[in-house]
Parts: sequence; structure tokens; C-alpha cells
Amino acid sequence: MPADARLSHTAAMILQAIHAGHIYGFSVMQMTGLPSGTVYPAMRRLERDGLIVSKWEQQSIANAEQRPPRKYYRVTRAGKTTLEAAWERYPLLEKMIPTPEVERA
Amino acid sequence: MKRDRLAEVLAYANVRAASLLVPYANRGGWRAEWNAEIYHLCHDAGTEFCESPAPGPLEFSRGAFPDAFLLRRDDVRTHGLPGVQPGSAGRCALMLASLAAAAVVLCFILPGARHALLPLHLTSITDLVSIEPAGNAGAESPGISLQEYLEWRTDTEKLFSELAWYHPAVKNVVLARGRSTRLSIGIASANFLRLMRVPIADDAAPLAEPVLVLTRPVWQSLNHSKERMADRFADIDGQSVRIVLLPDDEDQLPNNMQAWLLVDQATLQALPAHARGFAFARIRSSAFPAPRAGVRIMFETHYGVTHVFDCVSVSWLEWQPASNFLFALLLACLALPATTALPLGEYPRYRGRMVFSITARRWAFLVIKLLLLIAVVYLATGSLAWGPAWGGSTSVFLQVIAAFPLLLFGFRWCLQDQRRRCPECLRRLSSPARVGQASCNFLSWNGTELFCVRGHGLLHIPELPTSWFSTQRWLCLDSSWRCLFPDGCAPSPEMV
Repeated sequence: MPADARLSHTAAMILQAIHAGHIYGFSVMQMTGLPSGTVYPAMRRLERDGLIVSKWEQQSIANAEQRPPRKYYRVTRAGKTTLEAAWERYPLLEKMIPTPEVERA
Repeated sequence: MKRDRLAEVLAYANVRAASLLVPYANRGGWRAEWNAEIYHLCHDAGTEFCESPAPGPLEFSRGAFPDAFLLRRDDVRTHGLPGVQPGSAGRCALMLASLAAAAVVLCFILPGARHALLPLHLTSITDLVSIEPAGNAGAESPGISLQEYLEWRTDTEKLFSELAWYHPAVKNVVLARGRSTRLSIGIASANFLRLMRVPIADDAAPLAEPVLVLTRPVWQSLNHSKERMADRFADIDGQSVRIVLLPDDEDQLPNNMQAWLLVDQATLQALPAHARGFAFARIRSSAFPAPRAGVRIMFETHYGVTHVFDCVSVSWLEWQPASNFLFALLLACLALPATTALPLGEYPRYRGRMVFSITARRWAFLVIKLLLLIAVVYLATGSLAWGPAWGGSTSVFLQVIAAFPLLLFGFRWCLQDQRRRCPECLRRLSSPARVGQASCNFLSWNGTELFCVRGHGLLHIPELPTSWFSTQRWLCLDSSWRCLFPDGCAPSPEMV
């Protein structure tokens, strides 16, 4: 997907939530208030377009905490560029889901 | 608490059901992600950053369906339909099912085949026999003369409770408004349809005039309409006949005649005495010993000369194509071990992966292939043998001769195809490679190696069977190897 590609408001919200550190599907749901049937398919599309990447948590960490490993997501360089374009298009996006200051710096 | 636990279990079940939509290569990882999310939702939802109230596990799991559907849609757009991917089990089954469907269509196109392979709609046929000259069982040509029939009507009362006869002929039928057509007609004794237990209007009444009994499709083809039949008359050889229709489901009387002309005794006797036809009778159970292969023998002595007739059970004739096919099937099963090796190879239990469901699926696929093959051969050879109306022993011979080699080579193909498939995903194995040297065979092996493109394992086929390597062997690979294979790179929690 080109960097200046326009995201829908929902996709931009999800991308912003991931960028803001909500790296699991369930936490993105809670942050955005969107249902699971919207969030997960949208994340698949974002991953397919190269705006986010997913990675499995290390099995050893999950074993130590006696729970199944989770799949987490992070925004790619292309995703960051697209998100910056989305901030201009949706000015309230950053206010709805604020990015931690460390990330912004 | 119990309700929460139940909701969690139902949520996992939802995800499992939805996972069936997900392409096989992604299924494991996809389900692991959803299961992990449900686990965290149920066990530590309170620790998450909470902007909105957490949904219940059931509500959450409903989202798995659109997610799975999206993945499947993307996969179909990229790779085409799952059943038609080259080398897949679905494609193989689809190909055989298409052949079976084509064979069914062929069978329906050829009326002779349809009548032979599908059961007759006649009822009460256990005591119904067809009387034919000895050795002509199932023959298509008429063998009983009118004179013999007329003599038997009085001479065989102890043997038969009812006796009927018809003479096949092609007649010009003049319909209303001067339209005429030529039909193959069975000129039958008045009791013919009653003997066949086929009810028609006014069947029991004395015949004031001859009755022409038509099947509804024939009548519709003649009239190009579905108009009512009441008081319709036609003209045959200058004689007026009343038209009656057979009930819709009674169009499968013997010999596939287009119409039946029911005439009284006097009209029948007007036919030449040597006119040949077909005789049917209802036998008295006390008169004949139990049938042997459906055929009873009747002797008639006439002026010192003994004639032999076969009384062939109609129910036996009805099952003749099936019994011929079963005979060919038996022959093929007996010959199969002589033409190919029966073992499907060694599939050892390896790290618990060869679980019951995988084994059951492999066997189910083999059984489905065999059943579809049998159906294809039965319908195709039946159409070949009975469709062009060869009749009698020619059809029997043709069916057996055609079915035996097709079944034999079909079974051979099924077994060979099964051996060349991955036992886990049932795809055809690919990239055969020669391994080893024939001159260095001591405690080693040489032969061919194939692999599953999804990285499930390798198949080793020895060139020469030895005591330590007698048959092909399947080597399971764990998931860490999959990235080396073309279609095996789907991420999963095991690979991190």
C-alpha cells in the first residue's frame, strides 16, 4: 500500500491504537470500542498491506506465566507514514487515542 | 461461576467451528490466536487497559466468523477454490464425482440403460415370470408363438394363476384431426396390465373396443400439450381404439414399448398363429420347486416332441445388471493382488502427530475414491451394455467384459494414488528425487524420495525391497521444518 494511501476512519483508529501500544487484538477492541468481528479482519488487512506486522510471544514467557502465548502487533515504517497522513485527515484521532510521549519523541 | 465456564467453553467451540472456514495452512495459528485472546478475556480482562466494558466471551467469539470468512475469501481470490487446487484430495474427489455425474446423465439419456439400471416400477413381482424358449433368458426378441400361448391358456392352469401375451409391432396411429404417427405397440391380451398389477381406468370392464394404453410422455410428445385424455379415440389399421393413459410412475413396463393395445380374445386370434411375442405369467407357488438362479424349467410335450421353456423370474431379471456387475467386481477384487501390491506403506506414529482423525480422514478418502469409482464404472458399463439395446446375453457379456478391466485398473489407480499422497493433508507428493546407489545397498537403501509441499514429511520408496526396508516408509517432520517447503510457511505459535 502506498504511504499516502487513505485509511478509513475505523482502520485509522485501529492503526492508531496499535501505535499507541495496544498491541493485542483484544486490547485494541477495548481501546476503540469496536467489536471483535471488525477489529480482527481489519488487522488482517493492515498486516496484508504491510502497515503492521505480527509476532508470536515467546513460548517460554507464556509457559512461565502458565497461559497460552499471544500474538502481538506493531506498526511498520510504512504504517507510521500512513498514520501520519491519517492524523492530518482525522485531527481528533490522536486525542481519542493518545500516543505515549515516549513514542512521539 | 458455572455460567462463566460454560460461556468460555462455548466461545472455544465457536472458534473451533469458525476455524473450519480458515485455509488449512493458516488454521493452527489462527485458532491459537483466538484461543489465547479468549483465555485472556476470561482470566485477566481486568488487567487490560479498559476504555470500554469488556464483551462476554461468547459475544467476543462471534467475531471469529467474519475474520475466518475474510481469510477464506482472500485465499480463494489468491489460490482459487480450495477443492480445485492441483494435487489436493478435494480435486481428486471432485473429478471422480464429475465422472459419476456424467455417467448418471448418460444413463438417463439412454432409455435402455435407464430401464435396466433403475428398478422397474412394477409391484408384486415375486411370482411374476417371463416364459421364454430354453437358453434365451432376457432375450430381446420374441420367442413364444400365439399358438403356444393359446394352448397354454387351458393346459397350464395348474402352473400359472394368470397368463398374458403380447406381440410387438410398429403401427400407424391416426390421432384426432388426421394427424398420424408410427409407434412401437405391444398388441396384448386384455389381461396383460392386470397381470402386471398396473391399474388403468376400466381395466376390469369387458373390452367394448380395443384400448390403446399410452405413457404420459408419449402422449405429450404426440400432442405437445397436457390436455385431458377423457374420451380420446385413435384409429389403428382402420379400427377405432380408445386411448387411456398409464399412471405417471408406471412407464417402465418390459421392453420399453411406446404403447400397449389391449384386445379381446377374438381380435388376438385374428393374428397369424405363428406370430411371436412375449409371454408373462403369475406362477402358483405350489406348482414349481424353488427357483435356481431365478429360472424355473417348464417342459411341454407336443405330439411326442418335448419342448423346454425357461420361466425366468422378473425380479431376477430386474437385478441382472447389478448381479453381473457384482460378479465383475468379485473378479476384479480377486485379480487385484496379482497386478499390484496391496499395502499402503508404513505410517509410523511419530511424536503423536498421526492422531486418530488424520488416520480416519486418510481411510475415508480411500473409501470415497473406491465408492465413486465403483459408481462410475457401474453406470458407464451399464449404459454401454444396456443402452444401445443389444439385449440378452450380449448385454450381459458386454457389461462383464467392460466392467472387469475398468474396475481392476481403477482399483490399481486408487491404491497407487493413495500411496503417493501425504497422510496428513492428503495432497499429492511432489518432486521425486533419486536417493542412494544400487551398488551400495548393504544396510542402506536406494530408491525415490518425495515430499509434501506443506512440509509434513518425506516418503521413501525403496527401489529393491529388502528385509530392512521392504515397503515405502513415511517420515514425519515436525513444524520447525516447514519453512523449508513451498507451502509450509504459515506462522504458528510452535514456530516462535
